[in-house]
Amino acid sequence: MTSIEVTNLQKTFQTKRKAAGLGGSIRSLFKPEYGSVEAVQSLSFNMDAGELLGFIGPNGAGKSTTIKMLTGILHPSGGEAKVLGFTPWVDRQKLAYRIGTVFGQRPQLWYHLPAMDTFILFGKIYELDDAEAKKRIDFLSEAFEIRDLLDVPVRKLSLGQRMRCEVAASLLHRPKLILLDEPSIGLDVVAKQHIRDAIKRMNQEEGVGVLLTSHDAGDLEALCKRVIVVNHGQIVYEDKVSNLKRKFLTTKMVEVRYAEEVSKDYSIKGVEILKVGHYGVKLKFDTTKTSVDFVMSHLANAGDIVDITISDPPLEEVIAKIYQEANDSAIQRIGESTIRRANRGDKSG
Amino acid sequence: MKTLAKYWSIFQITLINSLAYPGELIGRSLMIIPFMWIFFQLWKVTFSAAGADGGMINGLTLRDTLWYLMLAETIELGRPPIARTMSENVKDGSIAYILNKPYDFILYQFSTAMGETIFRAMLNAIFGGLTVWWRVGMPNHLQGFLIALPAVLGAWVLHFCINAMIGLSAFVVEDVSAFTWIYQKLAFIFGGMLIPLDFYPQWLQSFAKALPFSSAIYGPARLFVTPSLEMFVNVMSLQIVWIVALAITLVIVYRRGLTQLTVNGG
Repeated sequence: MTSIEVTNLQKTFQTKRKAAGLGGSIRSLFKPEYGSVEAVQSLSFNMDAGELLGFIGPNGAGKSTTIKMLTGILHPSGGEAKVLGFTPWVDRQKLAYRIGTVFGQRPQLWYHLPAMDTFILFGKIYELDDAEAKKRIDFLSEAFEIRDLLDVPVRKLSLGQRMRCEVAASLLHRPKLILLDEPSIGLDVVAKQHIRDAIKRMNQEEGVGVLLTSHDAGDLEALCKRVIVVNHGQIVYEDKVSNLKRKFLTTKMVEVRYAEEVSKDYSIKGVEILKVGHYGVKLKFDTTKTSVDFVMSHLANAGDIVDITISDPPLEEVIAKIYQEANDSAIQRIGESTIRRANRGDKSG
Repeated sequence: MKTLAKYWSIFQITLINSLAYPGELIGRSLMIIPFMWIFFQLWKVTFSAAGADGGMINGLTLRDTLWYLMLAETIELGRPPIARTMSENVKDGSIAYILNKPYDFILYQFSTAMGETIFRAMLNAIFGGLTVWWRVGMPNHLQGFLIALPAVLGAWVLHFCINAMIGLSAFVVEDVSAFTWIYQKLAFIFGGMLIPLDFYPQWLQSFAKALPFSSAIYGPARLFVTPSLEMFVNVMSLQIVWIVALAITLVIVYRRGLTQLTVNGG
């Protein structure tokens, strides 16, 4: 069963253009000039019910605009979309009973009040019975480990604690689908892991479909089964996360700090040293050629480790690789077709 | 029933939220004290200069005028800046959260507006009322409070309709501060905020009374100082006509505005 069907979805924004300086400002008063920005260009994809789908891309790629169209907040400039059988911008309110949304940069909890007040309000807004709402709040407070946070004014919570409450609040009405727009933005590693674990649990236990946008390749690895990469409002890659990992998330960066000064000789086979200090090192390696275990054991032998960070390459790097591959295959296709044409020409000549 | 309960809950949570910083709430409401003090000084001199000391100008005594101005100020200072809030919601992108819940956007805004109004208006009425009482004594008709109450609520609904329309223009222009400024000045002049409309020349009175601003300020305040069944019916029926007309326009503007909306931010 399909939960999202998107066909040739487009969104073009009209923007006012103005030359710099006072002269430009005055000219634009009398003769305003408008340009258009194609935030989303003919996007088509499907998402199955209960699927964990990653929707990633750099800033300005059109991820958030797509999510806002899928929730019915924005009307598209063209194309069609069905979310749980509804056209979002036509049936926005009916759809709102069935989906949950979290915009990582826009809090939905009442800032000066304890999160519990917002939970109770959402219970009323989604027309839940009081007993049902209470039961659900109990369940979510356990699943997201927020029981002790519910009576604290939201402004006093840390970002990680607040995000757990935000995601929990968006699940209060048992939505079939949850759209998470950068839920992990600004969070530290532990807080990210908390959120990921809770989302995964809700997907496994309640079958909630998750459409996740993120800047963080780690979110994808931890949560999603399939990924769509968008850039400049277009899909540039669509595949299983396992394939993306195999093809593009093949490097890891490791930063290690030691308790005492250690030898600066880190020559490990297949490892690129990025930075060396008296107390540590930053290095990068290809996981398809060198195993993480192998690198870690070498680093552990060098001294007492007090801190270690393992990170994925930035998403921009992954997208650059995807583009490179797309260009290479396009060049290859052009080359092949030229050869075919040349062969046909030989035969006909 | 559940539909009503959700708007009641939105009203309640805004009401609770308005108490988050009681010091700020009280401090802001204290501003009505100097306003009423200045009005007292101004109108005392005016009545005296007009030779109406202890008497009347166009049917109003000094006491009536001050109690009139107290209610007019309470209505105006009590109402929240809906247009500015809606404009901010559009500019900072938080409108995305307001629009993606299963409720009517206009009724949501109305519920929050009323939730923000109640305590502010109560405190303004208390501080303003005490100041006026101290200077000129009790109002002539205490029952005026009860009779004017529905008209005060109607006034807030009317204010809401006009301000929400200004706020909705943010869907297209984003910044609405120029429109709110114009509205405020029109309400001051044609609503009778600083001078009761009774003191205007006849032609200007007739013009001002034909506008919605008078139903939002002058009507309820005048009903409070000289209450009568006839005036109650007049004020309320005029308010209802304006509310229906503006509410229909508001819904049309909202539906059109929604298709123009650009949500800012990532």
